[in-house]
Amino acid sequence: MLKEFRISGRLAAWDLQGGPLAPRPPAAPASSALAGTAGSFARTLGPPASPGPSPKRNCDPRLQQDMALKPSLPRKIVRAGPGNCVHPISPIWGNTAVISPQDPTLLIGSSLQATCSVHGDPPGATAEGLYWTLNGHRLPPELSRMLNASTLALALANLNGSRQQSGDNLVCHARDGSILAGSCLYVGLPPEKPFNISCWSKNMKDLTCRWTPGARGETFLHTNYSLKYKLRWYGQDNTCEEYHTVGPHSCHIPKDLALFTPYEIWVEATNRLGSARSDVLTLDILDVVTTDPPPEVHVSRVGGLEDQLSVRWVSPPALKDFLFQAKYQIRYRVEDSVDWKVVDDVSNQTSCRLAGLKPGTVYFVQVRCNPFGIYGSKKAGIWSEWSHPTAASTPRSERPGPGGGACEPRGGEPSSGPVRRELKQFLGWLKKHAYCSNLSFRLYDQWRAWMQKSHKTRNQDEGILSSGRRGAARGKGGPGGWAGRETRAPPGGRRPRALHPQP
Amino acid sequence: MSRREGSLEDPQADSSISPLPHLESKIQQTHSLARLLTKYAEQLLQEYVQHQGDPFGLPGFSPPRLPVADLSAPAPGHAGLPVPERLRLDEAALAALPPLLDVVRRRQAELNPRALRLLRRLEDAARQARALGAAVEAVLAALGAETRGPRPEPAAIAAATVTAGVFPAKVLGLRVCGLYREWVSRTEADLGQLAPGGPA
Repeated sequence: MLKEFRISGRLAAWDLQGGPLAPRPPAAPASSALAGTAGSFARTLGPPASPGPSPKRNCDPRLQQDMALKPSLPRKIVRAGPGNCVHPISPIWGNTAVISPQDPTLLIGSSLQATCSVHGDPPGATAEGLYWTLNGHRLPPELSRMLNASTLALALANLNGSRQQSGDNLVCHARDGSILAGSCLYVGLPPEKPFNISCWSKNMKDLTCRWTPGARGETFLHTNYSLKYKLRWYGQDNTCEEYHTVGPHSCHIPKDLALFTPYEIWVEATNRLGSARSDVLTLDILDVVTTDPPPEVHVSRVGGLEDQLSVRWVSPPALKDFLFQAKYQIRYRVEDSVDWKVVDDVSNQTSCRLAGLKPGTVYFVQVRCNPFGIYGSKKAGIWSEWSHPTAASTPRSERPGPGGGACEPRGGEPSSGPVRRELKQFLGWLKKHAYCSNLSFRLYDQWRAWMQKSHKTRNQDEGILSSGRRGAARGKGGPGGWAGRETRAPPGGRRPRALHPQP
Repeated sequence: MSRREGSLEDPQADSSISPLPHLESKIQQTHSLARLLTKYAEQLLQEYVQHQGDPFGLPGFSPPRLPVADLSAPAPGHAGLPVPERLRLDEAALAALPPLLDVVRRRQAELNPRALRLLRRLEDAARQARALGAAVEAVLAALGAETRGPRPEPAAIAAATVTAGVFPAKVLGLRVCGLYREWVSRTEADLGQLAPGGPA
């Protein structure tokens, strides 16, 4: 049995048994006249044919319009034919009721008055026994009241934010629980002003920006963020198109960026309840350049020196064509520690020697680069990410003793007694053996090697272990310096990326 | 196989049918594809209801099974039809599904723009329905059975915009995903009748 039901001025037909409409004989393909006319349609019906997919129907826009303008057409069964329209995927809601308002947008904490009106089809249908659910939960009856015989009202106060971005499901049910109508509520907050925009350019070829959405964060509504940019002195607004590249609130501009001229960058946030715009960030691409981490980081032993490791890397190749002076930073830590020690201000060199390490210990080392001075800019760039950790171990020592200081850790370890003592010894030795005033690392290595050898000899003679001696390596530049050059490794020594103690 | 409908040994079969092993292989592959897509269709349905919010997905949730133009669920008498006729209906349904899934995907892109996995599954489902439909059509052709008539004009269906309320749109999407699962599952069962080792 097929009936028509009136829904907001539309006509629809729905099999009350809930089964599929009987398929009809194949018809000519539907025309495109249904585009944009979803607000009015008619369903066509025909005699049962073989089971299976329903055939397509023709569509006469004149009839469609006629049906839309005459919502009071008497009930009839419209048969299939060239004069009838069917929406291919029409929003058919063959129910007997309608909820008002449909899909409202509300502020958190506000109230909502809604109604569910039955149409009186079949005759005698009333609002008696109807009830509401919200997101599947039945609402207390005291929130509802019958306005009249055919309308059930609902009053909700102090609404919470929507549970899902597709909207909270408010449903009107018949006494038997069947669904009569539904409406989706959008409860949330307007967006706050995005802030904390930061941008960087990888190798001067692109621009990536990140921002914070707003102090309050969650709006409970889908909020669209749009990164805009323009040249400061001229040009039109452009919109970034590649979002979520480095997190949920980020965007990547891949190309066509000008250098030596400032850009203005801002973020616009929009949702159903309003919009907000961030402050404008002005920058020159050259001032926010970063690069990939230095590649090919190798860490290896320095011969048999048990407290040193040699670190080498390659300058980022993407910057090789640009005039710049790179700064590097190195950080390292003992394998089972979370505390990194940082060697700062590693100037434009691609090697470093870490000294004062613990013997027989595995160290993880990372390097990063700051491409400052691009095209003569005096501003520092942006530090790259750290390179992947590279591990190596120092040779084991026969002497006990605590691991000492490192190669100029950040924050500096206080000068210790043993360090001064060692330095004094070194200077004394230097006076005796060196005839030039220039301190060279080579000489220092030679001295260290001599010291170790003489210790071993003494131990063999005396059968005792000497006390540990560690000293911070003092390179050029005095305090804060570092051993920045490698010496020639002993035969059979160094191999790139040494990870295990050498035999 | 000789006792099955649609058998290659059917004297009414076209003499230009592919050699038996090749056809059996094609049927088996298509059957395997249908089985895989049945699993994907179930996952799509689960993903879909999750993003619409309760009561979608709650046990006992039973909105009206709204009919969708050009496509209805497999009829109760479907299983009693000859296998080629069943496959013909399967193929017609699979051809009707992709534009419907596309409409659902576009609507969900507005309602759930961050549900990337759901949107991807809907896009994949449309593609997979086309592939399975084409495979079933190939099996029918190999069996010498007639396939269905002209396909619908995709532009006509795709051009129709939906300005319905959000809740009816959610229900309609549920209906389409449900139909997709039903028809893929139905296709798997029908092909199982033909696959080697299937019921006689």
